[in-house]
Amino acid sequence: MKHESAKALLIGTLGVAAAMSLAMIASHVSPIVGFNAFFYGAFGGKQEIAETLASTTALLFPALGIAIAFRAGLFNIGAEGQLLVGGLLAGWIGTRIDVPPAPAIAAIFIAGALGGALWGAIAGWLKATRGANEVISTLMLNFIAASLALYLVTGPLRAPDAAGPELSLLPHAYWLPTLLSHTRATIALPIALLAAFALRYVLDRTWYGYRLRAAGEAPEAARRAGISLSRVALWAMAWSGALAGMGGAALVAGELHRFNTQLSPGYGFIAIAVALVGGLEPLAICLAALAFGALESGGLALQAAAAVPKDAIHVIEGVLVFALAARRYLGARGTATR
Amino acid sequence: MLDDVDLTCEAGEIHALVGENGAGKSTLAGIAAGELSADAGEIERDGRIGLVHQHFALIDRLCVWENVVLGNEPRRLATIDRHAARTFVRELGERYGLDVDPDAYVEDLPVGIRQRVELLRELARNPSILILDEPTAALSPGEVGRLFATIARLTENGVGVLVITHKLDEVFAHAGRVTVLRRGIVVERRPIAEITREQVARAMIGGEIPSIPAHQPTDGPVLVRVEALAVPGAIEHLSLRIAAGEILGVAGVEGNGQSALADALAGLTPFRGSVERPARVGVIPQDRLVEAVIPGWSLVENAMLGRERAAAKGSWRIDRAAARAQCAAIVERFDVRTASIDAPLATLSGGNQQKLVVGRALIDNPEFVIAYNPTRGIDIGATATVHGELLAARNRGAAILLISFELDELFALSDRIVVIARGTLRGEFSDRRFDRDAIGRLMVSA
Repeated sequence: MKHESAKALLIGTLGVAAAMSLAMIASHVSPIVGFNAFFYGAFGGKQEIAETLASTTALLFPALGIAIAFRAGLFNIGAEGQLLVGGLLAGWIGTRIDVPPAPAIAAIFIAGALGGALWGAIAGWLKATRGANEVISTLMLNFIAASLALYLVTGPLRAPDAAGPELSLLPHAYWLPTLLSHTRATIALPIALLAAFALRYVLDRTWYGYRLRAAGEAPEAARRAGISLSRVALWAMAWSGALAGMGGAALVAGELHRFNTQLSPGYGFIAIAVALVGGLEPLAICLAALAFGALESGGLALQAAAAVPKDAIHVIEGVLVFALAARRYLGARGTATR
Repeated sequence: MLDDVDLTCEAGEIHALVGENGAGKSTLAGIAAGELSADAGEIERDGRIGLVHQHFALIDRLCVWENVVLGNEPRRLATIDRHAARTFVRELGERYGLDVDPDAYVEDLPVGIRQRVELLRELARNPSILILDEPTAALSPGEVGRLFATIARLTENGVGVLVITHKLDEVFAHAGRVTVLRRGIVVERRPIAEITREQVARAMIGGEIPSIPAHQPTDGPVLVRVEALAVPGAIEHLSLRIAAGEILGVAGVEGNGQSALADALAGLTPFRGSVERPARVGVIPQDRLVEAVIPGWSLVENAMLGRERAAAKGSWRIDRAAARAQCAAIVERFDVRTASIDAPLATLSGGNQQKLVVGRALIDNPEFVIAYNPTRGIDIGATATVHGELLAARNRGAAILLISFELDELFALSDRIVVIARGTLRGEFSDRRFDRDAIGRLMVSA
């Protein structure tokens, strides 16, 4: 892990602890009681740890995807939509195939990756061929993805047995095996960790990763060195979407066991914060995802035990991202005038 | 950076501050103008010191008068008095012979004119001393002449001008005094009448100037054939040939199609017409920091740029040991001075960064080299290294296209010179019989 990302993590942790103390004091809760409830909620027992790990997994996939795009100089803020489309395709495939569990689970993840990659590649293609700003296109594609998913599950793909806007339940054999029995912590977590190691290897060690980073760091120099910026835009967005889509597949096969439009409570957005807190370094992002996963599950416990609203946790996450983004510019101020 | 430096600039004098890149000239200028702070010592200013940076600090999307009055806008209630501002800028320009349309947008202006805007902006603040950091680095010969005419007018008005440069021609043609800085120390300071050019050059580099290898006659086969090249908006019907073992110099004022020519030959821009060239091309881009390097990355990673796939030798994984060895070879052969090949490139001086860029382009002995202002903004020692390597590549049998805005560089290296103006070739000078006046006239021909 690089020095920079270690520093970002430390600052983030201290900042969040301070902000949480303030939120607790504002809610007339002693920080000691509050933190006790928080840590119990995040790590207090098997069920609590499993919840934290489940949130970690849900954040880790899209955060890794976002890191690919950001490292290639593309501000993909469409992970939420990519996750949704990936989940939709994964949930659909899962109800359509009839094979043994292992290949079925593989097919579900591949479908998720393809769906996400397709959705990401749309923005990448628009950027590569038309120069469309990916911030705007990915943001807008989030809305399109949500509407498309809603249309499909209420219309053409609606399950006959479904109570609401959702697809049929996956066969029980296709549910992801759990790490801890009777919890939501599944083998999706080691898959995500594997993806993180693979991503680190690709970015740091291969010529392909070098090209992505060069294009992100100095596009004009990269272009003149023979690196096709359009190809980078297209593929980096596809890879980015593929990881987010795998996150959707993990949620479908591991938690809900069917596709539902309420699949993600904004994981694709929180993942932006996770990626930034992790300094866009895959392994640091794993730690950042764990921290945010703990915030998610501990925050729920805090709300139940100490009446600190869970929204306060989201405010804190937002402030954290803002502070990290601002830090870059505050730090640059001293050296800007040369 | 600087150690116990003292410097004075008097009203009405032109004082040249010379030194190699990394000697501390820009730092000293920044401290004098109050933009940087010194650890020790003091600065006495009698009035304002204005500083014109080497890299202009203009706002591209504002027009000329807006840039000039920025921070000092004439007001009318809550709004800017545009009329007063325009008049002010026009009059200022007339007073100093800096002819600029106040309503032109900076992004539309060529480099020479932008510099006038930058000068106007400083002059608008009535400086008693004006510091110009490498003011002629991007100017055509004609523009250089105009700039020094303006400087002369300033000194007549009692302004002291400190010119930072490493072009000794300019120093000896215009300056009254010269101060030589080497590694942050003043090593020489004298009135210009009391020192020779050789003494200044020796003081700058702290030793003898490396000589460049002599020319040899060329009669190799033609390697590069360009027929009826056209790039919309930049080049019309341009044809040229370069033989093996030949340096073809392209003389011209910046913005007359040189960039499009270089890009077309490098395969970076679409064109019409035919271009035949060898497959192995080494390119030295014009703008080092934007087009050639990734400043935050290490020397090793920069040396890999453009050859990253070759560095993986058919697999996905980059062979790091080989990449490091390659970088070390460039550093060694091209005399790149660095503490470590793992240091970020940005920690090197401009000259050493450029040596790495040149080394990267030449280390594989390419058959065709495109060198665009290969020594722009770098010091004498680094320039000699780069020139020596280009000649060595030529003597190995490479065809070299040398685009430069400095006639001296073209005269020193070229076997043949063509003149480009408005996207077409206007004349050719072969057998190293170069006529400076004729070339200068062709450069500005309509």
